[in-house]
Amino acid sequence: MDRSEKLRQRARELLEKGEVVMVIGSGPPSDSGISPVLFATTPEQAENLTASTSCAQNLANYLLKVRDRGKVAVVARGCDARSITVLLQENQLKRENLYILGIGCEGIVENGRKSVACAVCRHPNPLIYDEMIGEPAAVAEPDPEVSRADAEWEQLSPDERWERLSAELDRCIRCYACRQVCPNCYCPVCFVDASMPQLVGRTHNLSDNMVYHIIRALHMAGRCVECGACHRACPVGIDLMRFNRRVAKTVRERFGGDAGTDLSQPPALTVFKPDDPQEFIR
Amino acid sequence: MPDAENFEPRIVAFLCNWCSYAGADLAGISRLHYPPSIRVIRVPCSGRVDPFFILQALQQGADGVLVSGCHPGDCHYLTGNFVARRRFAVLNDLLEFCGIEPGRVTFAWVSASEGERFAKLVTEVTEKVKKLGPNRRLKKELP
Ligand code: SF4
Ligand code: SF4
Ligand code: SF4
Ligand code: FES
Repeated sequence: MDRSEKLRQRARELLEKGEVVMVIGSGPPSDSGISPVLFATTPEQAENLTASTSCAQNLANYLLKVRDRGKVAVVARGCDARSITVLLQENQLKRENLYILGIGCEGIVENGRKSVACAVCRHPNPLIYDEMIGEPAAVAEPDPEVSRADAEWEQLSPDERWERLSAELDRCIRCYACRQVCPNCYCPVCFVDASMPQLVGRTHNLSDNMVYHIIRALHMAGRCVECGACHRACPVGIDLMRFNRRVAKTVRERFGGDAGTDLSQPPALTVFKPDDPQEFIR
Repeated sequence: MPDAENFEPRIVAFLCNWCSYAGADLAGISRLHYPPSIRVIRVPCSGRVDPFFILQALQQGADGVLVSGCHPGDCHYLTGNFVARRRFAVLNDLLEFCGIEPGRVTFAWVSASEGERFAKLVTEVTEKVKKLGPNRRLKKELP
């Protein structure tokens, strides 16, 4: 039985027995290769589920939206499961209200190209799940192009970095799609929407754009699971993963660990060690 | 626009009430001289300094920002500066990544008894920012 057939069978069973009120997964891929999100509340609807790992969204995002409905099953790749872990660490979800159907991930491929997040993915397999559907995926070698681009960025002078980033972020139209698709960006009032006091200007002025992106990246430190949903959602193609990779690297190198990989540990920026490195402090 | 020679930077300093602010006070009552470049904002603890404050100071035209709190282990609230230190580390790296000039934003620990160190720190930070010139990067200019 192939993986999709097994998944459909389990989803049907869970819904028929009333063990879950909904199964969140993805449907058959379109011509571009991207699978739409699929919400099944009846065994019939579950017939359209596939075990494609090419859904552009991070499915943990939807769990937040249905968390009051009872127990929900979700098909989780490595990054979906990491986001779920972060949400559990932060008490946004209840583990007993989740049934995680894990699948090993082959990456998100659109028009023959692997999404940049998937090209350097270190955790394609879910680290928490209730059952695995099919075999775990092999961890692929990270795309050397991406590491090369990151290394090149670090070699640039501050002036060059500023110039390039300005050109990039000048194009941001502040639509906040990057925030909306992120499961771990769930503040009821985001700092950009606060009006009493207003924290950051609403215009797409370069200075405000920079501040938005720096603070967003900071808020995601130790919490971003590098799924790339924000990057794929951006209508003007801003390289958000460049920010996310850098922050994840800082957190990994200074405090250890990748976000959402260890449920027993709190997120890195909510704790400290007395001997955390402080070479940058005078 | 001030020319480089006469450029007098404005530096916003977020000082924690219990150590660094008292250190600045000590520098004052000891009649130590340091450049009149800083504008002090007293905060309860370095842990109160949201990275956003730092960015907003730069947006509103500060040429430099100094953030200072108690030495690790001496925080009045025990752990405020430890938690802040992780936040500042990530911010510091992000600023570097974005190409904000190193030295625009300085982090320090200054105790209540380090009046002299405080005066020296402000002198050095001012010199550094003078060399960098006026802040043009994050400053918000309306068209
Ligand atoms: S950008 Fe920050 S404030 Fe806004 S939703 Fe995300 S985490 Fe919350
Ligand atoms: S910031 Fe982007 S890459 Fe990180 S978890 Fe959110 S959507 Fe995923
Ligand atoms: S999705 Fe893109 S354009 Fe929209 S706010 Fe985010 S970075 Fe800016
Ligand atoms: S009170 Fe000074 S750093 Fe916390």
